[in-house]
Amino acid sequence: MKLVILLTVICLQVSASAVSQQITISEKNIPLEKVFKSLRKQTGYSFFYKVDLLQKAKPVSLNLNGVTLEEALSKCFEGQSFTYEILNKTVIIKPKAVSKIDKIQENRAAQLAEITGKVTSEAGEPLIGVTVVLKGTTMGSSTDVSGNYSLNVPDNEGTLVFSYIGFETKEVAIGNATTLNVTLSPDAKALEEVVVVGYGEQKKETLTGSVVQVTGDDIVASPTANVTTALAGRLPGLVVNQRSGEPGRDDPAILIRGTGTLGNNAPLIIIDGVERSQMGRLNPEDIESYSVIKDASAAIYGARAANGVIIITTKRGALGKPEFNLSLNQAFNKPTRVMEVLDGPMFAQVYNEGAWYRAGRPANWTPVYSEADIKKHADGSDPILYPNTNWVDEVLKSYSLQSRMNLSLNGGTESIRYFLSFGTMHQDGNFRYSPTSYKQNNFRAKIDVNVTKDLNLGVNISGMLNKGSYPSTNTSTNFINILNANPLLVARYPNGLIAPGRLGENPLLQDKVGTITTEEVPIFSTFTAAYTVPFVEGLKVSGTYNYDMTNRFEKTFRTPYFFHEYNVNTQEYDQKQATVISTPELTDRTDRLTTSLYNLKVNYDRTFDKHTVGLLIGTEQQKNTAQWVSAYRRNFISTAIDQINVGSNAPEDKNNGGSASFSGYNNYFGRLNYNYSEKYLVEFVFRYDGSQIFPEEKRYGFFPAFSAGWRLSEESFIKDNLTFVDQLKLRLSHGKIGNDKVGQFQYLQTFSFGDNYVFGGRDVPGIFPNTMPNPNITWEESKKTDFGFESSLWRGLLGIDLTFFQENRSNILAARNLSISNIYGFSGLPDQNIGKVRNHGYEIVLSHRNSIGDFDYNISANTSFARSKVEFLDEVPPAEPYQALTGRRVGSPLYYKADGIFNTQEELDSYPRLPNAQLGDIKVVDVNGDGLINAKDQVRFDYTATPEYVFGMTLGAGYKNFDLNVLFQGQTNVYNLDTGFRGLGGSNFSNAAVARAKDRWTVDNPNGTMPRADDITPSNNTFWVYDASFVRLKSLELGYTLPKNLISKVRLGDVRLYVSGFNLLTFAKNDWADPEISGGAVIYPQLKVLNLGANIKF
Amino acid sequence: MKKILFIAVLFSCFSCSDDFLDVSPQDRISEEAVWTDPNLIIAYHNSLYNGVPHGFGRHMVSKFSDEANSVNWDLQRNTFTPDNVAVAGTANENFFYYWNRGYAYIRKVNIFLEQMEEGTLHVPNKDRLVAEAKFLRGFMYFELIRRYGGVPIVMQSYDLGEEANFTRSTFDECVSFIESDLNAAITGLPEKYASTSTDFGRATQDACKALKSRLFLYAASPLFNPSNDQAKWQKAADAAEALLNRGYSLHLDYRQMFIQPSGSANNEIIFARLFSASNSHQAPITNINRRYGGYGGWGASNGPSQNLVDDYDMNNGEPAFIYPGGVKTINPASNYNPQNPYVNRDPRFDATVLHDESVFRGNVHEMWVSTDGTKWGFDSFKQSGDNPRTNYALLKFAPNADVPLNWQTLYTNPWIHIRLAEIYLNYAEAKLALGDEATCREYINKVRARQSVNLPPISNIVTGEELKRRLYNERRIELAFEGHRFFDVRRWKIATVTESQPIYGMDITKDLATGLKTYTPVQITARTPFQEKMYLLPIEASEILRNKNLTQTPGW
Repeated sequence: MKLVILLTVICLQVSASAVSQQITISEKNIPLEKVFKSLRKQTGYSFFYKVDLLQKAKPVSLNLNGVTLEEALSKCFEGQSFTYEILNKTVIIKPKAVSKIDKIQENRAAQLAEITGKVTSEAGEPLIGVTVVLKGTTMGSSTDVSGNYSLNVPDNEGTLVFSYIGFETKEVAIGNATTLNVTLSPDAKALEEVVVVGYGEQKKETLTGSVVQVTGDDIVASPTANVTTALAGRLPGLVVNQRSGEPGRDDPAILIRGTGTLGNNAPLIIIDGVERSQMGRLNPEDIESYSVIKDASAAIYGARAANGVIIITTKRGALGKPEFNLSLNQAFNKPTRVMEVLDGPMFAQVYNEGAWYRAGRPANWTPVYSEADIKKHADGSDPILYPNTNWVDEVLKSYSLQSRMNLSLNGGTESIRYFLSFGTMHQDGNFRYSPTSYKQNNFRAKIDVNVTKDLNLGVNISGMLNKGSYPSTNTSTNFINILNANPLLVARYPNGLIAPGRLGENPLLQDKVGTITTEEVPIFSTFTAAYTVPFVEGLKVSGTYNYDMTNRFEKTFRTPYFFHEYNVNTQEYDQKQATVISTPELTDRTDRLTTSLYNLKVNYDRTFDKHTVGLLIGTEQQKNTAQWVSAYRRNFISTAIDQINVGSNAPEDKNNGGSASFSGYNNYFGRLNYNYSEKYLVEFVFRYDGSQIFPEEKRYGFFPAFSAGWRLSEESFIKDNLTFVDQLKLRLSHGKIGNDKVGQFQYLQTFSFGDNYVFGGRDVPGIFPNTMPNPNITWEESKKTDFGFESSLWRGLLGIDLTFFQENRSNILAARNLSISNIYGFSGLPDQNIGKVRNHGYEIVLSHRNSIGDFDYNISANTSFARSKVEFLDEVPPAEPYQALTGRRVGSPLYYKADGIFNTQEELDSYPRLPNAQLGDIKVVDVNGDGLINAKDQVRFDYTATPEYVFGMTLGAGYKNFDLNVLFQGQTNVYNLDTGFRGLGGSNFSNAAVARAKDRWTVDNPNGTMPRADDITPSNNTFWVYDASFVRLKSLELGYTLPKNLISKVRLGDVRLYVSGFNLLTFAKNDWADPEISGGAVIYPQLKVLNLGANIKF
Repeated sequence: MKKILFIAVLFSCFSCSDDFLDVSPQDRISEEAVWTDPNLIIAYHNSLYNGVPHGFGRHMVSKFSDEANSVNWDLQRNTFTPDNVAVAGTANENFFYYWNRGYAYIRKVNIFLEQMEEGTLHVPNKDRLVAEAKFLRGFMYFELIRRYGGVPIVMQSYDLGEEANFTRSTFDECVSFIESDLNAAITGLPEKYASTSTDFGRATQDACKALKSRLFLYAASPLFNPSNDQAKWQKAADAAEALLNRGYSLHLDYRQMFIQPSGSANNEIIFARLFSASNSHQAPITNINRRYGGYGGWGASNGPSQNLVDDYDMNNGEPAFIYPGGVKTINPASNYNPQNPYVNRDPRFDATVLHDESVFRGNVHEMWVSTDGTKWGFDSFKQSGDNPRTNYALLKFAPNADVPLNWQTLYTNPWIHIRLAEIYLNYAEAKLALGDEATCREYINKVRARQSVNLPPISNIVTGEELKRRLYNERRIELAFEGHRFFDVRRWKIATVTESQPIYGMDITKDLATGLKTYTPVQITARTPFQEKMYLLPIEASEILRNKNLTQTPGW
């Protein structure tokens, strides 16, 4: 490996006239190289030599003042074993004894001529660092900051090769020119998208699978605390539903193409090559891309990939100078919607009605709340005894803070590239007086080293420190205590003392009840080695070793707390201890999870004329472990220290627990691609997968997939006739994938400890059988077929992508509990490969990209549809044929059919009804017409809480220094059952929604459209089912990049300021709660975020 | 190159190894290990006892009868159907819909018996363990038949995939089967354990006999003995009689009996579910009123009903109400004052029900509301929705001031399945049916004569239907909240009356000026009329659909 260094003038643009031949050097014993450097600086002359030549050079001592170059050089070369020659501002160093090669060199050098010029982009911007090489030689130079280069060439017959990353390489014959100005055009191929697929990357153009991708940069535009939520609407086929906005507990549910199975529908998440958790907690600025594999090409992931695969790739260092990237964000968030609940007087009124109905509507009746009481609650004259509390306003803050800071450094040379980042995020809870908050720190170090020309080693280590803090009461309880709290209860007395609230669980006391603190420290590491086999072109061997470890610590400290209660008789505020907890108790739990994964891959990629072949063969082994221990003590002397040793030492005050589980995978996989002229494309992937979840003889399976593509746009009949066509491709894929997401060891009959009993006042241990074994259990099998059409027309003015898919899932793992009698007394039924589900649908993406003057914009809209159908399931023969789930969508619920309410006595008397139905109850349709209302009248409801249609539209625009990024997102064909909304005037004093109470049936309002208070109809009726369709302005970002001349003074590269928002506007049919929640409003609502931020590069 | 080769070789060492897939469970034991280790066999056996449910769940059986108010339970409102009956099937309801739970434990017993039959392993006290298992299986079947009537008898364990046809046996066949299990058990069991013994809580000969007494009483009752077959009554009388002289005696203190911790001396208990610090319950706090942090019986709906309160006698031995011509009238002989209803009552009233002016743990309880509605007592439903609307809270299982009353205390007072007083009342009932009114009165009076209760005896002039009413009432009062009432009104076939009446509470208004209180019973929960078919519970609709040969309970 002979390395020739070309010392070239890159820094100084030196004109000949400005060169002073006055050289001054005064140094002792310095290496010759250093002298040359100094000389070059002083004269502008290049030095040309072979590195190994100078290794023989003796150091020199010089004391020169105002001498010429020649004089200086002759001093340097005294007693050296080589000599020099000056040709056209280049000093050529050569040995005294001349070799053959050097002779040629010498011959060339003998005729050196200088070529100069400027390299610019199409827009006229100078390109810095463009490599300029004389073709066929190692002689070359590169451009300086102004895009200028100069190079000495031996003769005029050569050709200069200009190459620059991201631009098409250009070759220019020198001819007679002494100045060659060159314009480079962007490399269409380099700019064209590369899509991440299983164990590799593919060009989007020649991709044959159904894979969609979004870049991390797009995601960053959504100022949400949980990155996964930012994916909603951006990727066709991906269904993202966030059901809670609680800081740190806000992971959305993700589905790819809806529901394909009766079992677990969760997709496989691969982060940097390994199945990893914490997807939502990644630092958005670390992410290069999200790639979603929807079709059979996921077969390369075998038995885990039937629900689709999401591959997340993180950024790596880019070639170039070190660049810091700092981003600062400050956001304000508040719930998207909080249910509007009844005020005191209304509540009292409704409660009275309910109590009267419960007592059988007696004629002689004293209401619980008298007219006079209600008046007092309404007029606020006595806020102690007759309060009218708005719990939502009392407890929820008008906004809370969320901040994110990120600093990264990236850069690289040919031999080393690095990406270092640190991010921190803090999110505050939305309650007053609550410890709820979440803090996240992310770091990542990713380094690639080219050890030799053929060997690349890399390391990618990332970690997080996630700290959550929550009150010890659970979140839904807190929301029950807000939304269901009786408004006739005082929240806080006028003197500031906090009242008991509902059940003594006043949510204003959340900071007193003790805290749950979680600390999660996942460390993910990947070590890679790739060796390009030098003697076989296109052959590469690579391997990775990954080790992930997550330590999780959770401390639950529950402490007794106090509130004040006004005593009507003594007129004192008695301090009372809440009875929820009488003595401090602490539970510490640590979890340790590890994954180690090795893989080894062999790639062979080569083009023979028009035939391009790609081959990948690999093997992978994985082992996971999970272990936990916990300790418990109570009766702490003091709550000052929340450590386990402070608790009581008595045996009945202590407890501990712990367990472990292990799992593993072993498999072989491969991919074969072939294309002819990038016109006819075929691909075959497979995985031979072994999953430890299944019994020994059922462990291994073979999952193949085949795909093909035809790029019509490459055919001459299109190329020649329809020039507006940029890309036109048809593709098809078909294959088999597995789903092994079920509990392990179901093939064994096992027993667990528990079910203890007591004899003589002492515990005796028990054991109980776990689920019955199924010795034949194996994975679900999914057969997927995709047909796609991709096009790009008029250079991006219109793009249309269409994909149709169909999936047949068989061997679905489901328990047979539906048809097996309980009389057998089985201890839980194992999953069996019994179900069959068909899923089909389509995805459409329309895109448009254009520039008008300085105004660039692009629009992309996507819609996807997926509908499942249960083909077979072990169903109890339904009481009525219309109740069968078979033939309907997965998860279709059974609901009674509501037909308004019983408004009049005639209506009530003339129609079948539930035995205790009253006037004002929901009228349930007697579907089977047997004159009775019972479970047989329940019908399958066609829709579920999983939307069939999801859609999104992104708008990007740039004008001068402004940029705008907008995302609309929505869903339809989705219905939620909201049983929480149903309650009104019940005996439990729960508050209710205004929308529910407003037009309820009462004796005085017999034509009400809502049922009476204390309606007794079973809650699973269609009256409480709402259409959860919505369109949302999901995110919006408006940025402004400060003009360069303004910031160059402060030596910053780029400064961009922006405002952004998340969940900004929601348009939905349902107006009492956020439509995205899945029924029941007592959850932590989704958040609306408004953010201010800055990006600074330096 | 050498380094790279080395790395390649290193990597290939890791591939192709199947070790990754040979993983064994770390958190559970294999079946094989269980039947080859006597300690695990004993542990398996211990858990069989959990097949007999105790009654300390959040929602006591009382909520399904007229003992307590429970606005939300279909079982109380008589709106239960095959569609909703199984809702009451979790631990919170003491597995009241026992069908699934019962058969699951019956299978466990069957497996145990099969393993003991086949196994050659030496297991200490094997015969006793087998006998206990048979007692438990008998008890489980009894729990089934008292709910559903005749049920399928499963005497072997089936494996997944094995087909069986389950059909209901008749009630009498089930009784015979249970009897044979109990007879077989008796031979392998000790007579009894002292209540302070470390084995107390295990099955004994006496427990078998006591269960037989209850079983035969049920079998002789009108619901299951429509022809009033006297032989059945005789059998019931004999079974009770067998326990009369076995050394048991009534606990002197009625209240103390239910609040003393497991392991205390108590010569009345024949069979009980004990508790320990690590295996405890929360019944005291769940049922007490808001003052102590309770919810008045979870959602304030386990509060004793006025219906029950009215049925406590006066301490002169006279019932507060009589029913001439079926009309509820104040009994003049009782001196009952409806405007001062809580004085001079049967002492068991104050031991069971927390009411206005009760003194408990040093607090005088106040359930009143002032006439003008501006003030109310601290224990009134107006003060907190977690004080029962009936204005009564359940005191029976709540400890006195010597034990903390809160959610963290680990309560161990036992759930008494069978105690001597029940046997006395079983005996009295059987004897009455056999025409022996004197013995009937004698045994009722034994119960009433308990030292802490000390009621005058029922006089000899009380006979016939009136004596029967007094007997039924004695059972209601003595065994209140012990899980009997729901079944008793059914087997007596009086539920059409008792379970059709609305549930009442008591409104107490206080004139703040004079301090005078006015008491007005108030109807709280209306009930749809009890229908004949409700005497036995329906089986969940889907279970019928799963079994071609299983018939639904008649009428459903």
